Amino acid sequence: MKYFRVIGLAVAFCLAIFLSNTFICQAYEDTQCFQCHTSAKKLIEATREIAKTRPDLKSAETEGEG
Amino acid sequence: MGPLAPHEKIFVDSDIVDDENHGEIACHECHGGNPDDPNWKTAHKGVVKDPTYPDATTACGDCHDEINENYQKSLHVSLRPYKLIIDERASSNTVIRNKLGCAMNTHCSGCHSSCGQCHISRPNSVEGGFLDGHLFQKKPPMQEVCTACHGSRIQKEYLGEHEGLLPSIHMKKYMKCDKCHTGEEMHGNGKDYAHRYDVENGPKCVDCHKEIYKREAKNVITHRIHKGKASCHVCHSQPYNNCSTCHVGKDKQGLAFFKTKSSWFDFKIGLNPLKSEKRPEKFVTLRHIPVDKRTFDFYVKDALSNFDTLPTWKLATPHNIRLKTTQNASCNACHGNESLFLLEKDVEDNEKGANKNVIVPANLIPRKQKWQPK
Repeated sequence: MKYFRVIGLAVAFCLAIFLSNTFICQAYEDTQCFQCHTSAKKLIEATREIAKTRPDLKSAETEGEG
Repeated sequence: MGPLAPHEKIFVDSDIVDDENHGEIACHECHGGNPDDPNWKTAHKGVVKDPTYPDATTACGDCHDEINENYQKSLHVSLRPYKLIIDERASSNTVIRNKLGCAMNTHCSGCHSSCGQCHISRPNSVEGGFLDGHLFQKKPPMQEVCTACHGSRIQKEYLGEHEGLLPSIHMKKYMKCDKCHTGEEMHGNGKDYAHRYDVENGPKCVDCHKEIYKREAKNVITHRIHKGKASCHVCHSQPYNNCSTCHVGKDKQGLAFFKTKSSWFDFKIGLNPLKSEKRPEKFVTLRHIPVDKRTFDFYVKDALSNFDTLPTWKLATPHNIRLKTTQNASCNACHGNESLFLLEKDVEDNEKGANKNVIVPANLIPRKQKWQPK
């Protein structure tokens, strides 16, 4: 009986660890950051929009080796 | 290193959730912003692009506390040698120094690194972009990180990209930067070094080439004769790139620029300006660096009024090492060969004062040898 109780506890412990990890990952993957930054399509749209509003930040006068 | 498209720079590989060490850290824990806001414009309010610069304590430092302890003193973060060298050449006038400080903030202070800019993305100074979808890189990739910044001299010398010059023998042995420049050297050891050549755990040729002074070693006589007299590079470097007269300023749109007058290949042996217990050699290789009395004239005149306190021909360790070179082909390929040495005639008139301690006087050029070791 004791033997089954120990095994049961061990199984319950492993399940708890596995599920908590799964929930953490799910919560992480559900964020807007993750949704957008793992989608090339969404990033292309966003970066094109940014490019329209931001001027070139490099001076054309730079010459020679840095 | 090819350029990245804007979206590639910020594309996150979804495999990051499987990273056993970092996969459970949510984006906003390091970068801030609002992870629940579906509008990307407002969601990014307060986002920190690189949460590891200038202080990494709340990001990487939370777990990597031993590395973080020395972080501020790592030369890649502090840029202390740059500041000290400009400081030494600068005028003592406070008004001039303040203006010089502004110029340095615009042109020099962006050239640093951070935890993130080595292990996650390309450095900001080369326009950033994730190395591999924000997956953490234990060893920074050589071409996207190290030589992305150290390009025009180190990369081209090391890879043999200069016409007529061979790659370093170490490159031919497939050695990457980290083989010699360890993580410990990059991360710093808590000491506030004034020069990169002072760093205690920096690379030394003899760390690997331990046998060269042993009796049974090949060329032992040559190595023993020259020990403490000439640096390894004097015999084993090929010609390397030299630059001159960098000027900095801002264009009509207010964008910062720099201009260097010229660059050329040369090989010059001079007197060691940084003689120390670690570098006792009398003769070392010298490289002309792109500094000029009027570098900061756009911002303030006479900023570098103490220009002559430091040489413009600086101790160099070119990364194009070969076992056999033109100057080590025989004793007299170097001995008595004036063209290899930095003589007074090789130095521009307005830089003679600055270089007086590194110019080799004619009487110090090693004489031609009659005897040759077997």
